[in-house]
Amino acid sequence: MTPALKCGATIASTGAAVDREFVTTAGVIALVNLQAQIDGQERQLRAGRLTTPGRVELVDLVSLRGQVLGRISDYERAEELAEQLVDDAPGSGLAFLARARARARFHRFAEALADLDVAQRLGADPAVLDAERAATFQAIGRYDDALALHREAVERRADLNSLGAMATLYAERGEIAAAERFFEESRERYRGVSPFPLAFLDFQRGLMWLAHGDLHQARVWLADAYRRLPYYAAAAGHLAEIEAALGDTEAALDQLRSLATSSDDPDYATSLARILREEGRAEEAHEWRVKAATRYEELIARHAAAFADHAAEFWLEAGADPQRALWLAQKNVEVRQTPRAYELLRHAAQASGGAAAV
Amino acid sequence: MSDHASGPRAVADPVVDITDMYVFPSPERPGILVLVLNVFPSAPAGALFSDAVDYRFRVRPAVIASSGAAAAFAVSEDEYTFNCRFAAPREGGTGGQLVQEGTCTASTGQVVSVRVNDEQGGQAEGLRVFAGARMDPFFFDGMRAVQTIMTQKLAFAKPGNNTNFGQNCLSMVIELEVATVFGAKNSPLFAVVGETMRAGSITIRLERFGRPEVKNVILFPKGFDAVNRDLEIRDLYNQEDAFKLGPSYLGAYRARMNANLPFYDRLDGKTDWPLDANGTHPLTELLLADFMVVDVAKPLADHSFLEIERMMLKGVTHETCGGRWLNDDSMDILLTTLVNAGNGPPVSIGIGQATIPATRSFPYVVPPNPNPPPAGRPHA
Repeated sequence: MTPALKCGATIASTGAAVDREFVTTAGVIALVNLQAQIDGQERQLRAGRLTTPGRVELVDLVSLRGQVLGRISDYERAEELAEQLVDDAPGSGLAFLARARARARFHRFAEALADLDVAQRLGADPAVLDAERAATFQAIGRYDDALALHREAVERRADLNSLGAMATLYAERGEIAAAERFFEESRERYRGVSPFPLAFLDFQRGLMWLAHGDLHQARVWLADAYRRLPYYAAAAGHLAEIEAALGDTEAALDQLRSLATSSDDPDYATSLARILREEGRAEEAHEWRVKAATRYEELIARHAAAFADHAAEFWLEAGADPQRALWLAQKNVEVRQTPRAYELLRHAAQASGGAAAV
Repeated sequence: MSDHASGPRAVADPVVDITDMYVFPSPERPGILVLVLNVFPSAPAGALFSDAVDYRFRVRPAVIASSGAAAAFAVSEDEYTFNCRFAAPREGGTGGQLVQEGTCTASTGQVVSVRVNDEQGGQAEGLRVFAGARMDPFFFDGMRAVQTIMTQKLAFAKPGNNTNFGQNCLSMVIELEVATVFGAKNSPLFAVVGETMRAGSITIRLERFGRPEVKNVILFPKGFDAVNRDLEIRDLYNQEDAFKLGPSYLGAYRARMNANLPFYDRLDGKTDWPLDANGTHPLTELLLADFMVVDVAKPLADHSFLEIERMMLKGVTHETCGGRWLNDDSMDILLTTLVNAGNGPPVSIGIGQATIPATRSFPYVVPPNPNPPPAGRPHA
């Protein structure tokens, strides 16, 4: 989901508030090594030589690449690998854990939670399973359950992951001060050099400020995430939207065209169509709108739960079909009862001329 | 596995994960000491070093302070460092491959530039440096080691399965002329530690390596430790300065060693390392001084690994260089030492050599396997 930009605050120099001395491996090295690991594991898999732990690792690596490059095809590949893994290793808790993660990516939350229960019965690490449960509870709006598990994790080990999870929960609940405290503490606890965890954390922090309407802060953190991982599509996309909101439309359009061409996620084409329409460039806007619509139709056919919210937003704005948006927003609320899901439903209901039963 | 995946942090980011360190006099060139630091377990083709890490050796002059039951080294405060740092890659290799350059800086002033994977390496006064992909020289039967811990019975077989068979890693190899780099004033004993450090103004020790399997074999099992049964101790241990352990967790390391070392001693059904009245194992303090000691005045020999320490414990003078040669069967030596103190038949993991043994000339570690098998899969 792309949060609405509410104001045009003046932006200071990009990333100025972020500690530049917090050194992490260059994004290009991290990505080359990630790609090399995936290539090697995929080769072993094709040769039928990959062990169950190796296959679990491959699921995680492919998902990670998808998260960085914004490639839905990677998430689909990870899900396919995980489904096959469970078929081949039905006694492995790790296999069910991998499938739970893959299913949660596509918002198959009930199935993911069921997989986590099986993984627990098969002996997987309860702390790891609880972290996954907490993330799933948070995604479906069970914030109190998520908070209880996050707190236990912090008590067990206060590190970037556990504190970062607390931060994102508070951010989602709109408790900015508490979230900021946890984001900061999480960052300070980081003891590694991999750019991925820090870039993902900073990205979440940027999203929080974006949702809160503070473009200055949003830009600082999104820019830091993008600086650490120059191929981080989601960070680049949101940064482009901020640039557009602040008036640097051409730079934003260039970035979004590049993303919309390289990524199979229609979010970028959606943003592009919206900004072009606002700029009065109807013909090009129409081209991107059609591309986004076509892609959303494909994705809704395959993963309705996962893309219902993004697609609803598309049909509400660039797609200009509020009835379709309403149907998708209702689908979204069926799987996740979060404040944002209800807000989207209310918005869609108003746009389509009625009131949603929420 | 020697030091592969020796803690959650190493598992999370293999580019900082030290797999091994080897320290030995050159087999063919007198007066040359060789330092090898390997990282990135099961490194895939095309893997690169991090540009955010200092890959370094720390070398200190040492002497034998005492022999017999209280065997110990005395290590000087003087220190030589050899710090390798790598740049972000650039395009320009054959077939569009990325090229990575590195610089090795010695505390004695030499600066050596290297191009990763260039077998000729780079040179400066008294130093020669290689960095790049190589075949991992470590060999061990990891499955049988786990089985040994689970069943509390020696489970190694002959032949064993080398779980590291055909795997690759990233290597840094430094040849140094002892007289040129260290001068003539030092005693011939040196204590060596390998480290990965986060670079920049806020440095953090990510991993360290002194002797193989201190973390994965000796410290990792939790079940025997009545003091800290739930503690994953290895990341804490990795953060310590090997030459000066901090006070915060020293008791925890001692407790873990004093719990686990007797387990290995019991594996042959008899006690070769009786504990003292405080429950302290005779090897605990020697192993907590976790650095590799080499004698540059003594000859390289097969099975020189731990020879200095073993002779110290017996109260006799060592005859070899100690340290660790690439082809040493270091796991047989370590397990034999832990299980029967050399008083019984050798404990063997049943493997005997690396996938392809090291060569006797620079850069010693053999070229990478172009088609490695899956990591961790048993292979006879």
